[in-house]
Amino acid sequence: MKIKQTLKAAAFTAITFFATSGGIALAGDVIRIASPYKTTTLDPVRSASAGNIETFGQLYSRVFRRAADGSLAPGLAKSWDLAADGKTITLNLRDAKFSDGSALTSEDVAFSLLRVRDHEKSAYGVTMKQMADAKPSGANKVIITLKNPSAPFLGNLEVFNVGIVSKKDVEARGDEIAFSKSPLTSGPYMVKEWLPGDRLILAANPNYWRTGYPKNAGAEFIEIDDPNSRVSSLLAGEIDAVRTIPWPQVAELQANSAVDVPLEPSTVIYMTLMNHSRPPFDNLKIRQAAAMALDTKSLAKAITFGHAPAANTTLPRLDFHHSGFSVNTYNPAKAKALLAEAGGFSGEAVLLVRSSNADQQLATLIQAQWAAIGLKAKLEIVDAGVWWDRVPGGDYDASASWWYNETTDPDLAVGWALCGECGTKAFYTTYNNPKVDALMEAGATELDVAKREKIYHEIQEITTTEVSQIPLYYPPFANAYSKRISGLIMTPALQWTLEGATVN
Amino acid sequence: MHFLQVIFQRLLYLIPVLIGISIITFVLMQLTPGDPIRLLVGQRATPEVIAAVRAHYGLDLPAYQQYFVYMSNTLQGDLGNSIPYQRPVTELILSFLPPTVFLIVYVICITIPTTVFLAILSAKNEGKLLDQIINQFTVLGLTIPVFWLGIMMARLFGVELGWFPVTGYGKDFIGHLHHLFLPAISTSIWLVPVLLRNLRVAIIEQMKSDYVTASQSKGLPERYIFSHHILKNSILPTLNLFGVMVTYLIGGSIVVETVYAVPGVGKLIINSILGRDYFVVQGITLFYAMATISVTLIVDLLSALIDPRVEL
Repeated sequence: MKIKQTLKAAAFTAITFFATSGGIALAGDVIRIASPYKTTTLDPVRSASAGNIETFGQLYSRVFRRAADGSLAPGLAKSWDLAADGKTITLNLRDAKFSDGSALTSEDVAFSLLRVRDHEKSAYGVTMKQMADAKPSGANKVIITLKNPSAPFLGNLEVFNVGIVSKKDVEARGDEIAFSKSPLTSGPYMVKEWLPGDRLILAANPNYWRTGYPKNAGAEFIEIDDPNSRVSSLLAGEIDAVRTIPWPQVAELQANSAVDVPLEPSTVIYMTLMNHSRPPFDNLKIRQAAAMALDTKSLAKAITFGHAPAANTTLPRLDFHHSGFSVNTYNPAKAKALLAEAGGFSGEAVLLVRSSNADQQLATLIQAQWAAIGLKAKLEIVDAGVWWDRVPGGDYDASASWWYNETTDPDLAVGWALCGECGTKAFYTTYNNPKVDALMEAGATELDVAKREKIYHEIQEITTTEVSQIPLYYPPFANAYSKRISGLIMTPALQWTLEGATVN
Repeated sequence: MHFLQVIFQRLLYLIPVLIGISIITFVLMQLTPGDPIRLLVGQRATPEVIAAVRAHYGLDLPAYQQYFVYMSNTLQGDLGNSIPYQRPVTELILSFLPPTVFLIVYVICITIPTTVFLAILSAKNEGKLLDQIINQFTVLGLTIPVFWLGIMMARLFGVELGWFPVTGYGKDFIGHLHHLFLPAISTSIWLVPVLLRNLRVAIIEQMKSDYVTASQSKGLPERYIFSHHILKNSILPTLNLFGVMVTYLIGGSIVVETVYAVPGVGKLIINSILGRDYFVVQGITLFYAMATISVTLIVDLLSALIDPRVEL
């Protein structure tokens, strides 16, 4: 009898406790962000994958920053001078400190810029490839010399991997140790604790150069892989911001008064890669037929529930986007004719698909629309590891995928996704048109804005007509925010405006 | 002394088992297509950079050389470093272990009393309405997919009612109890029926056995017969099944850990496999093997304690 009573009492206490504690304790001024994109390194030059890009931006200031309107604003450099020849840039640094209170000097800036270009493990050194040298001049000046005048270079100084790190610390502790747990940071936050594979806990950097920032005590980047779990955690009040919610849930969350879904503009483009080195897509007519077979407007509507417009060129919506251009649009009759002209294709193209639900849905729609013109494709579903083995290895025929650009200038985007001789073989399609490569060089060194616009329009006209890839749609960021916080959005450069965000 | 001998012997068996498992895991990971370096550096890296990073981690060596380097380090107690995080595998496993262990103990604490209570209730009312109701619930528990149940419970108890957190592990003991309540219940909901069906049948069998009739005819009280004879004899087969289920839980916590974003070993192994983090996958596999052998050993020892006829 006694046991029964004790059990009853224990059960009652437990239920009362859980019921009255009502969720978890308030997190105070810390902003909690859940994302499927992982932080895998704290060294800004070592990775260009989405989760790391978001983290680097919070840890390391660049010499410039982007103002709210997207224009280039002073960062660690309070001003800069561009010489008349367009090849020498003088950066005038402000007095700034690293997170440990040590002075941030011109030595650190020059070291960080050269490190991006020269480090053997630098994942995206191309941002600094136009730089001939960077030299400190006194404590507060850095002189950058360029190989050629370069229109995109100033903007590249704002890119995520050009964050300023401490020369003294990196040289003293070595790359591996300096960035393993608690790097010295120059950005709004420093690392309080990093639990790899689970979360990165950031604390406000008391020595941050922007007075009054960050406007919160810190942040937690929490990895939650399952999209439903991310949404549940937001609705339960455990998380303040959620990256990438499923499109079918956008309307439900927009209707929820405790949540904001601003659908921020992005530089993301969804497109279909094609392998230009083997049949069927080595044939221009078949590529054009494949593009015309796709009703991208309906496709975008079906996948994103009407939240993304169809894409009209091979580039995302960056500066000099050729918005009025239209080619190879939906025309199944013409697609069939083109396929017949090319002699048809009797085999089955391999349509490589990553294992997420949205990717499978997209691939299935593409497969069906291609089948309608007589172009057969079979789906091969693989995980990201295999995808990244097979696509760069050329072991695929087509694959729907996405990418984004970290600046609004199209130079880096063209170099990575359309240039045949730039190392990434036009996003591993092996599309190679020397004229496009030449135009890319011309676009980078041309300083006249009107002339640059003409060049980038021409690049988009050529590559879209020749179907280097099939543009599909331009989605906004499907991020959701709790109304507990204000001022947090994601910029087109894949950076959180975290330092200005406040807890209400 | 006998027990100690058995324990020692089992630990000896561990050596060939662990070597075998390490070879199989290594070969499987080598055969799996996919590149950890590409996943680490991102999409824009040039082939030169990828080659440099691969060489840095010794992944450009022939497979047999990689295995020997790995084994010689392992024998010295060093399981290697995680490829992306550059942290010791042992440190990573130990940091992800507490939530999983807590969850398993939590599940056991919920499962055992529930199973025993319902099995007795069901067996004593064999064929009656109560037995049938319990039966229906066990069928339901067995057939509901855990991930679906997880999502639904998170929405109901976490979002709508706000009673329980839907993600994470909590900061202190009470926090752990609170955070892991839904994951533990979601697991118990399928585990209880598995054990319950087994135990119920065993109890019914024992209740009908000759020694029970004999005890009854000698006038022993029903309660005494049940607790001292029937229950003890029925528990043995279920205990063995329970041992198998616990070892399954150690590896099978992946689904609940994913749905409730619990930073446990299940989450670690999934991420390591997807990220082709070879050394972590090998480390966890060895750890699983040791855990499985230890649990089996404990169950065997317990069986021998309960029933002296059981030979180790």
